[in-house]
Amino acid sequence: MRNIGNIDVRGLTLGFRNFGRTNAVVEDFSFKFDGGSFTSIIGSSGCGKSTLLNAIGGHYKPLAGQILLDGCEIKEPTASLGIVFQQHTLFPWKTVMENVRFGPMQRGVSKVRANAVAAKYIEMVGLAGYGDYYPKMLSGGMQHRAEIARALANAPAVLLMDEPFGALDAQMRASLQSSLLDIWKETHVTIIFVTHDVEEAMYLSERIVVMSRDRGRICEVFALDEPFPRNKDKLFASEGGRDLKEKCIGCLAS
Amino acid sequence: MDEIMAGVTQRGQGQAVSAAPEGGHQGAPTRDRGAAWFLRIVRKPRWTALLASAASLVAGVGLWQWLTESHVHLILDFSNIPTPVAVFEAFRVVVVTNAFWRDIYWSMYRIIVAFGLATVVGVSAGIAMGYSAILRLVIAPYVEMLRPIPAIAWVPMAILVWPTTEESIISITFLGAVFPIVLNTWEGVRRVPRELVKAARSLGANRLNVLFHVVVPYAIPSITVGMALGMGGAWFALLAGEMISGRFGIGYFTWESYQLIQYGNIIVGMLTIGFLSSVSTGSIYYLKRKLVPWAE
Repeated sequence: MRNIGNIDVRGLTLGFRNFGRTNAVVEDFSFKFDGGSFTSIIGSSGCGKSTLLNAIGGHYKPLAGQILLDGCEIKEPTASLGIVFQQHTLFPWKTVMENVRFGPMQRGVSKVRANAVAAKYIEMVGLAGYGDYYPKMLSGGMQHRAEIARALANAPAVLLMDEPFGALDAQMRASLQSSLLDIWKETHVTIIFVTHDVEEAMYLSERIVVMSRDRGRICEVFALDEPFPRNKDKLFASEGGRDLKEKCIGCLAS
Repeated sequence: MDEIMAGVTQRGQGQAVSAAPEGGHQGAPTRDRGAAWFLRIVRKPRWTALLASAASLVAGVGLWQWLTESHVHLILDFSNIPTPVAVFEAFRVVVVTNAFWRDIYWSMYRIIVAFGLATVVGVSAGIAMGYSAILRLVIAPYVEMLRPIPAIAWVPMAILVWPTTEESIISITFLGAVFPIVLNTWEGVRRVPRELVKAARSLGANRLNVLFHVVVPYAIPSITVGMALGMGGAWFALLAGEMISGRFGIGYFTWESYQLIQYGNIIVGMLTIGFLSSVSTGSIYYLKRKLVPWAE
């Protein structure tokens, strides 16, 4: 466990107030994400997993409870909480290089240094040579890579990922998954990964949190001890793997 | 840039094809052939299309020559309208006079000043309305109330308020241009996707930097549309202003020609106005392509 990148969610209630009535999407949610860990959150659509992730990123104010990053309450989005969204959110008017260096430059890093940092992460995600391209000139998978590079270039303590590979074909998804694991190993960033794909969660994470549709209650938390790098075929064929997958799917269905 | 894009697309297709089952291999080439066939259909008769348009124009001018030469008077009265040949003669005489170029200079000067002001004011007001709820509540009532009033309706007011006719003409032109710019800027700012703003905030941008790095760039295509519409409005209002209260200007030239019974010059003036107006609108679209290459 590292001493940075710890997320502590305490009694969190998210939702909206409507004419005095409270509609809770997530109610009394508590969980600790250890620094440097890789946790997946799975749940059927509408269970509030995306809302939870946005709240951790500082984009929603909780109705009750609090979220702490290394002991400090998260009140607004900050550079330490990097987010990769499901939709493409690269700035279309900036090249890949300009997109990736945006974070460092916002923090006041000089252009020369920001370029160096950006180049490093662009290479890390396998986009070397595409720095001068505008986002629309790249394929969907390449845009996702650029987005991950942009989030990482800020050296965030936590990387929040909201179904980032949901819209990709199987091949592209597999290659991005293994890139993500390499990046995680290299940077030791805390990753909170939202997905609805059980196999993806099993392949990537150390722990899987299953959220129920009933106000985001935690159904079950599974720990996976399988060491990295994992072999997908072996993982899903093994008895433990099959068992876990069935349990997850059972949880999701209930 | 096109070449690079084609390269990327091909690479993307290559991946998709290799990942797809057998059916995918057959599907892609058929689609390409279909596209090529379609392009041939569209492209081949390019010169015929040009010829058809040219023939139509020649026929139109011929009709005009015939109607005016034979003094047709059937509901419409053509007896006082100059023939195309007479108009060309008038143009040849007038194009070498200083007065003609001085009128063009004055009109362009008024357009540039009024349109420049309208752009600054319109873009600022539109961004303020789109980005701040309080400023929207303050500004929106004025926009909604004044927008439906045509710029020409401001002429008497403008003459009363401003010390010289020059200023009143510029203010009328300004009013003709400003509203489309405000509305399109506002619309562009309002449409900024929440995700882009959230992404910028998560990368550490404060509200001001979100405005300059996300909101304004996103709105630029919409702003340029507003500017092009505003340019049309500016010419419309300028001509009204020049005809009613002007000294100099191409609108004044046209109106004066009518009063001096120089009918050929009326049409020379009209065609000059059309030409100047379309050149200035075209230059805005040119500017847009230069400014926002990523939006093409």
